[in-house]
Amino acid sequence: MKNFWYLFAAYSIIWTALCVYMIRLSQKNKELQVELRNLRAQLERILTK
Amino acid sequence: MCKHSNSFIVLMLGSNIFLQQVLALLAKDLKTEWRTREIFTSMFVFAVLVVVVFNFAIGADTELIRQVASGVIWIALSFASVLGLQRTGQMESEEDSLQGVLLALHDRSALFIAKMLAQMLYLLVVVICTLPLCGIWFRIDFLACLGALCVAFALGMLGLSIVGTLFGMIALHTRACEVMLPMLFLPVSIPVTIAAVQATAQLIDGKRLRDIADYLVLIGIFDVVFFVLALIVFDYIVEE
Amino acid sequence: MQKWWTIMLFVMAFPCIYLCMNRVFHATVMCITMNVAIMLIFLYAPTEKMQGIVQKIFYFHVSSAITMFFAFFLVCVASIMYLWKNSDWWDTIALSAAEIGVVFCTLVLITGPLWARPIWGTWWSWDPTLTLTLVLWLIYVAYLMLRIETYDPKRARFAAILGIIGFVDVPLIRWSVEKWRTLHPKPVLIQEGGTTGLTSAMLLTFLVCLVAFLLLFFYLLRERMSVVQSRHALEVLRHDIDELCVG
Repeated sequence: MKNFWYLFAAYSIIWTALCVYMIRLSQKNKELQVELRNLRAQLERILTK
Repeated sequence: MCKHSNSFIVLMLGSNIFLQQVLALLAKDLKTEWRTREIFTSMFVFAVLVVVVFNFAIGADTELIRQVASGVIWIALSFASVLGLQRTGQMESEEDSLQGVLLALHDRSALFIAKMLAQMLYLLVVVICTLPLCGIWFRIDFLACLGALCVAFALGMLGLSIVGTLFGMIALHTRACEVMLPMLFLPVSIPVTIAAVQATAQLIDGKRLRDIADYLVLIGIFDVVFFVLALIVFDYIVEE
Repeated sequence: MQKWWTIMLFVMAFPCIYLCMNRVFHATVMCITMNVAIMLIFLYAPTEKMQGIVQKIFYFHVSSAITMFFAFFLVCVASIMYLWKNSDWWDTIALSAAEIGVVFCTLVLITGPLWARPIWGTWWSWDPTLTLTLVLWLIYVAYLMLRIETYDPKRARFAAILGIIGFVDVPLIRWSVEKWRTLHPKPVLIQEGGTTGLTSAMLLTFLVCLVAFLLLFFYLLRERMSVVQSRHALEVLRHDIDELCVG
């Protein structure tokens, strides 16, 4: 198993980077959806007043 | 027959107006520059500084310096180009003359061509002043291959000017203009830099024009492609 | 037997693409394909005799590279469409594809040296493809910097222009770098005679990896586009609320 650590490093980096990016994106999406819902509710309240 | 000749006359007149506008804009830029000689001075001094600093960085080995000479010259030209474009852009935004010029123009690409020719002329003057100094410091006889060198430099400078002018106009509208211009200009102009450096190095080594033909073809294709592309997208840059 | 598998996969691709319009289905298929790819890489694909176990980096390295090129091609197409149609949707695609392209580009630039070091003995050899990847990284990072985050109609236009120029420059950069340096080892996938240097098991593994990466790319594209569109919707809503409050 010569050069195993290079293989390990390569795959770890790929997976870490992709997972971090995916998690960041979905967290950002969730935050934005929450804010959108709040703002829409606020807009409805203003319109019904 | 009459219809054809009419449309030909319209085309000639149209292109005549276009040419007149290009020349007028070019004359205006050159006249302004001639009064202060600010852009040329900063470009020339910077190019000389780059050459001198590289000389010290590389060391005293004459053979090594001779080998990297063409690279050093073209780096100096690229950086001087960036500097010149930044100064031009700064002066334009200070005077805010761009909108007025655009309104007066029949065809907006006249502005692009004028700016590109101006930039090329500045680079040409910088080259004419810097090459003799490089010849002395690097102990290279440029006169031996002067004709071929002119062709290589002309094509290379044209490429740098086209890309530089385009990105100069884009960077003008961004907040961090000084950072954005080199970031945009330098990577995109890599084919010109590589080909021009190789062509110049081979000419210095004693090769003939036909030996560097493929490098010149590469730069030529780059120039044509980016010139056409620039003319197409220029309207999108300047329109409000 | 393998031929039938290939044909079946190809036929199933089209309804799968249609069904992947659904986000959950897309995510599921992507996870399954990625898992299958990993199993194939480590359990099915034979270890290459000369390069040893490090050769397995190739599957993800080349898949990332192809995905990266596809992403930048998409940026170019979306930029042209944006300038032509002046539609925000195309601009969103361009921005998202550029960002994901830069991510994959970074992965290629990291895995490349990790593969090169044990095989060629050096971390970096200026071979044409890796050099092209480096230059593309520089160009598209400049693209993202040109954008930053605030939506400004002119900035999107400039970015679109850079997106087109960057991709048009690719063959020229490639040609110039090839003339400049000829250390690049002959490509393993396709050699002169048209035969592959890979065994059929390796080729199958590679294709599955490629499909997995493309599915991943489209999933990330969806998520990123959703972020951009949500931000834009937020701005519009805030603007509306402000107007109503003032009025």
